[in-house]
This record gives sequence, structure tokens and C-alpha cells, in this order.
Amino acid sequence: MKQPVAVVGVGQTHFKKRRDDVSIAGLIREAIDRALLDAQMELSDIDAVVIGKAPDAFEGIVMPELYLAGALGAAGKPLLRVHTAGSVGGSTVIVAAHQVITGIHSRVLAVAWEKQSEGNAQWGLAGGRSRGIGAGGAFAPWMRAYIHDTKAPEHIGWQVAVKDRRVAAKNPYAHLKMPDLTIEEVSESPMLWDPIRFHESCPSSDGACALVIADERVAGSQSRTPAWIHGLSVRSELAQFPGRNPVRVRAGVECAHDVYDQAGITDPRREIDMAELYVPFSWYEPMWLEGHDIAGHGEGWRMVDTGETELGGAFPVNPSGGVLSTNAIGASGAVRFAEAALQVRGLAGEHQVEGARTALAQAYGGAAQYFAMGVFRSTPPE
Amino acid sequence: MCSTQGVTEPRASESTLEFPYMRTTGPVIGPFLRALAQRKILGVRDRQGRVVVPPVEYDPQTGEALGEEMVEVGPEGTVEAWTWVAEPLEKHPLDRPFAFALVRPDGADTAMVHAVDAGDVAVMTTGMRVAARFSEEPAGRITDLAAWEPVRS
Repeated sequence: MKQPVAVVGVGQTHFKKRRDDVSIAGLIREAIDRALLDAQMELSDIDAVVIGKAPDAFEGIVMPELYLAGALGAAGKPLLRVHTAGSVGGSTVIVAAHQVITGIHSRVLAVAWEKQSEGNAQWGLAGGRSRGIGAGGAFAPWMRAYIHDTKAPEHIGWQVAVKDRRVAAKNPYAHLKMPDLTIEEVSESPMLWDPIRFHESCPSSDGACALVIADERVAGSQSRTPAWIHGLSVRSELAQFPGRNPVRVRAGVECAHDVYDQAGITDPRREIDMAELYVPFSWYEPMWLEGHDIAGHGEGWRMVDTGETELGGAFPVNPSGGVLSTNAIGASGAVRFAEAALQVRGLAGEHQVEGARTALAQAYGGAAQYFAMGVFRSTPPE
Repeated sequence: MCSTQGVTEPRASESTLEFPYMRTTGPVIGPFLRALAQRKILGVRDRQGRVVVPPVEYDPQTGEALGEEMVEVGPEGTVEAWTWVAEPLEKHPLDRPFAFALVRPDGADTAMVHAVDAGDVAVMTTGMRVAARFSEEPAGRITDLAAWEPVRS
């Protein structure tokens, strides 16, 4: 049986290159304590905990959930770990929500984090065997393919970078804040993985994000401003198989249509007010706009070009500054969901999208193999 | 068509992973490690007044933040349970027969798994008294606590 559920609390740490002031336990508690404060709850009010992070090789702690049970307040409660590469923060929120939707629990805490300064993510991704290709190198040929297929001009990538880094200055938790960054500076920054330049690539951050998900009885009480969940979906596929289109990934298309169908959305560009999309490299903004059928073929980069995806535009994308400004990998998917929830609650502060009633959250991981998506609204499902 | 005849199949492929990590120790483990460098063992008092060793940042039961009261424990302790390692392997902490044991330092309410350098299995008894032996040049690492050895009464 499905029940209406909502996000009633959101907490993030301040994201930085290195949070040497806290242990991993202290880092996640910073996010948890803020989420509980927002949810008007104590740790003892939580029924179950679901956590997510990227591979153990990132920090070199094997099965961190074992030692973190105390910090998570999980004694005597169900504690589950989710693992879906870079999308893990999103799927962690979805697994937590499923436990409430199915009526198993009333209040579930979802926590996702990464403390990347303790290791090296590029090493951790492949155990040192990537021969230096890195995540950007793996995605670069697909970005080139998108540019070739849609005849997008090269300034589109620079424009996404400027938009996200500038708007991050409005988000107190963002890592890289560059309110004065210019197109020229981006276009002159060093080439990392052609076509991706230094300023078009995500940073490596330490940080955590927590969300409290509650049932209708809790979320519907008058003192709260819930973000009601109207659709949740996850999809996966192999990194390579005959006929795969790595630019318009089938798993991503189907994941998007699943959440649109659940939320009763037939025209996403018109019916969705804003989106938090997982954009670790600038070109992924137009690629996901098209890959999730928000824009038609070749229309994604035009939405960027005309400023439609800016804060204040017709379809704002990543007003938080996005993954381009803040990337603690395991947390990044959860931040997309948390920021989308904040928007429909009207609590996004300086980067609030005016009148946001319906928001889309998306995370992807692996070689664009895992997708986790959600639709939030300010009003409960009918 | 391609034939695999005559091709010797590799049945395994070796793999070695190595990477140096850096751990931020935080407000509880940090003092614990610094104390080890001074040949001291610190525990932390939890919300029920019990002393947890090695110390933890959050109460194991309630999740509340701990660390306000660090408590020095040991340097002697009691063996609560043990198993004898008659033929140590290269990876073991000692190069001669020893016991893996649960040792509860004096003043602590928890036991830690560690090595007891007893020399002979005949020396080992549950409830026996042991004393911490620190490495000769302690450096603020968990390995500063080298082993426990029987206390001659």
C-alpha cells in the first residue's frame, strides 16, 4: 500500500576542500543535527536510518557503517547502506522514502556523505588502474558526441560553469563560490579533458547531507512545511553494450518518464518549476535536459544559451550551484534531493526560485549507469 | 571463426592495491592518539557513566556527543577471554606464540581485542592480570600499544 510521504527536514554541512576540524562521524552528525532541527525532532524520534556513500576506497574505511552506528544514533534500529556509485545520495533518499511509503516506518533518516580529502577519488574509482583517464576523461568523448550531434557552440559549456559558480555564492553551504567568474576566465582555464576545462569541472569536497522523511500523519501537522514526494524512480544499465547510446542513456530516459508518470507530468518543461540535476561537468546540463526529455534534441543547449536555466529564468537548473560548485561525491545526489525539497518548501534562501511548486531532483552514477530521480511538490498528492 | 585450441587459459590474475590515506581524528580519537604517544591509554565516559575504551565520539546507545570527560585507564588490565596462537604467521602482531585476548584495562567498562605476550599457553588464564607494553618510540598511533604482558605476582 502506498502512502503520501514528505521530506520534513533537511541538513547540510558546509562543504570545503578539507574539513580537518571534524572526523567522518562528526561530519555526518553536523548534517544530521541540522536536519533534525529542521524536522523538529530528536535522534530518538527516528525509526530507521539509511546511509549512502561512494566506494570505501575513497576514504579507505572498509564498511564505515559499522563504526558509524553510534554517530548515526542507530543503536537498536534498522541501519541500511545503499550503494549506487555517484547516484548513491539520491538512491539513499529513495530507499529511505520507500520505508515510509510502504508503511514500515513513520520517520526515517537518510544520510549521505563523502570526505574526499582523506583519500583520492580518482584513485578510488578504479583502485589506481584508470591510467589517468579519470571521471572526466571517461565522459569527455560522450560530451564531444553531444556537441557533434547537436552542433552546440563551445561557449555553452563555459556559460553553464559561469552560471553555477556565480549562483553558488548565494548558497551558504556551497564549496566553490565565484560571484565574479567570467566566460573569458572559464574559456582560458586549462584544458583538463577536451572539451572540459578546469572551471567546467566539479571540485573535490568534504561534506554530508541528511534528510528526514516522514509519513502523512507527521508531515501533515500544522507546524511543518513539507516537501511532498510525488514520484521516485531508480534505473540502471551496463556501461557498454551493442547499440548503447551513452549520450541519451536509455536508463535515464526511462527513469525520467517513470517519475513524470507518477507525478502526472506530461510536459516537464512547462509543469516543472526548477530542477537540481547532477552536472559534474558543464556539458551535462544540456545533455540531461535532453536526456530526460525536458528539452528536445538540440534544444538543451539553446535553453542554456538563452539564459532559461539561470536563477530567474523560465526553467532554473541548479540554483544551489550544483555539483559543479560542490561535490562530496556520496552526498551530491542527496544534495540534489535536499535542494529540490527546500525549493518547494520556499526555504532555499537567497537562491530560492520564486514560486517553485514542483521541483525535479536527479542523480546519476557510474558511467552514466545509475539514475535516481524524484519529483517534489509543495502540496500533497491527491 | 576463431579457435581457442592451443591457447593456455589464465586461471587467475594477480592484483595488489596500495594507497596512503589521511584520517581526520576529531575531538575524541585525537586526544586518545596523543595520549598513546605519552604511554597513556584514554577512555571516554558515556552518558551512563561507563568508560569506553578505545573512546568513541558518540554514545553507543543514545548517539549523544561524548568527549567532555576523557578518563585515563590501565596501565594494567584483566584478560576476559583468549585464544592461543601457537604458530604465528607473518601478519600477526608478534613473531612468537601469543594469545589474542579481550583485555579490559583497569578503570574501563569495555574490553579491547589485543595481543598478550605470554610466552607459554600454560601461563594463560581467564581473569589473569596483564600490563600494557608500549612501543619503544611511541608516535601517536594505535600501534604504540604494542602488546600486553603478564604481571608477575
